[in-house]
Amino acid sequence: MTEALPTTTAPESAIPTRELSLTVNGRPCRVVCQDRQLLVEVLREQLRLKGTHIGCLNGDCGACTVELDGKAIKSCLVLAPAAEGSEIITLEGVGPDGGGLDPLQQAFWDNDGFQCGFCVPGQIFAARQLLARTLEPSDAEIREAVAGNICRCTGYQTIIESVRAAAQAIGEGTEGLVPEVDTPA
Amino acid sequence: MIRTALRHHAPGDLEEAAALLAAHGERAAVVGGGTVLVPSLTRGERDLDHVVDLRRLGLDELSGTDQELRIGASVSYADVLSAPPFPGAAQLLQVAAGGITGGPQIRNQGTVCGSASYANPSSDMPGVLVALGAQMHLHGPEGGRTLPAGEFFVDAFRVAARRGELLVAVSVPTRPDRIGYYKFKLAEGSWPIATASAVLPDPDGSLTGATVTLGAVSAVPLRLDLAPLLDGNGDLAVPAAEVDGWVAAQVPEPWDDELAPGDYRRTVAGVVLRRALQRAEENR
Repeated sequence: MTEALPTTTAPESAIPTRELSLTVNGRPCRVVCQDRQLLVEVLREQLRLKGTHIGCLNGDCGACTVELDGKAIKSCLVLAPAAEGSEIITLEGVGPDGGGLDPLQQAFWDNDGFQCGFCVPGQIFAARQLLARTLEPSDAEIREAVAGNICRCTGYQTIIESVRAAAQAIGEGTEGLVPEVDTPA
Repeated sequence: MIRTALRHHAPGDLEEAAALLAAHGERAAVVGGGTVLVPSLTRGERDLDHVVDLRRLGLDELSGTDQELRIGASVSYADVLSAPPFPGAAQLLQVAAGGITGGPQIRNQGTVCGSASYANPSSDMPGVLVALGAQMHLHGPEGGRTLPAGEFFVDAFRVAARRGELLVAVSVPTRPDRIGYYKFKLAEGSWPIATASAVLPDPDGSLTGATVTLGAVSAVPLRLDLAPLLDGNGDLAVPAAEVDGWVAAQVPEPWDDELAPGDYRRTVAGVVLRRALQRAEENR
């Protein structure tokens, strides 16, 4: 028998609630949330951005990764109120305006980087952070960069190859640069 | 989701933060990077009514004098790593930050002071801070006070903060010691099984005055003075197996958790210590 989890008996109306101002994928928005909600929950439930996944809720798997003020972070480790005033990019905001894939996403597509796709957010945002720093990463650097993400299809090798191909394509200038992390004003 | 009626506070000054923590005691906690506290709330392991967020307190400063570096409570591992090379002994902190488990996302979120406040025996920062003789700057309802790291860590998951106090910064010395860090873990995603931080102060390159601080092998970090192992020239006077035996004897109550039993930690401690020492000696 397991012990009961601590749970409030207070009515829903008594749960502390607030309005948050965020900029998500370049668009300013206001959203009402409970103080106890995680950022990943607000992105998925209130904002309906389902590209950000819920995996372990423990900071291990990386499926909930987004960019918060330009840094790749795991959004299950952030209480939504802590994101007040932040600029967030979710997986939906990575590709170019008007649809299509950015060079990094294209490299994953071309190299079968993903099987089920559940770990996409973590792999993409971790790789973006790496490629913003260097376009000539060693395999060791690529492995280090994606180490915070768990791929349960165990497709790690094609993930490494995809990042390597993206670096090369972007470096050769044939695919343009990875979009700037900062969102347009 | 978190099932309790949590209230999030982001106070704008330290007095307000300390007052909130003092008023709510065990029902409140500080949230910094969130990497430990938030999932523990999600899992229902912590039952809180209030969290006090550091984000508006301006504690994200990393600053230095000619003798020390001060690392504010909101400074992440990524901030430490992207800073210019730390001088002297303080370099140990940068080396250890580069090996923090969990990938770049966790290094973007986790903080030095958060790790210190959590005081998990199986983590990098407590051992590193004790090795450096770091100063821990606390702020509470009665104002600020500073404690040496060796007095800050009082037991596993327990620090010397009083009710209402929070850790606002740590200071680490930049004196020109040679340092070496070695961490032993069994998987990329694992907490360390044993860590060793070697600090060699002798400018002539001997081990005179050398200490090695073991982390993750006992409830609190163990700072070992190597003098009993040295000859008159400050060189190691005993073979490796004897070093290992001596080290094991310094760990009477090894830390035991799901990652590794205590006797295993005690057994590997000597090897880990020797490797840290070797790194420090190569670090000229």
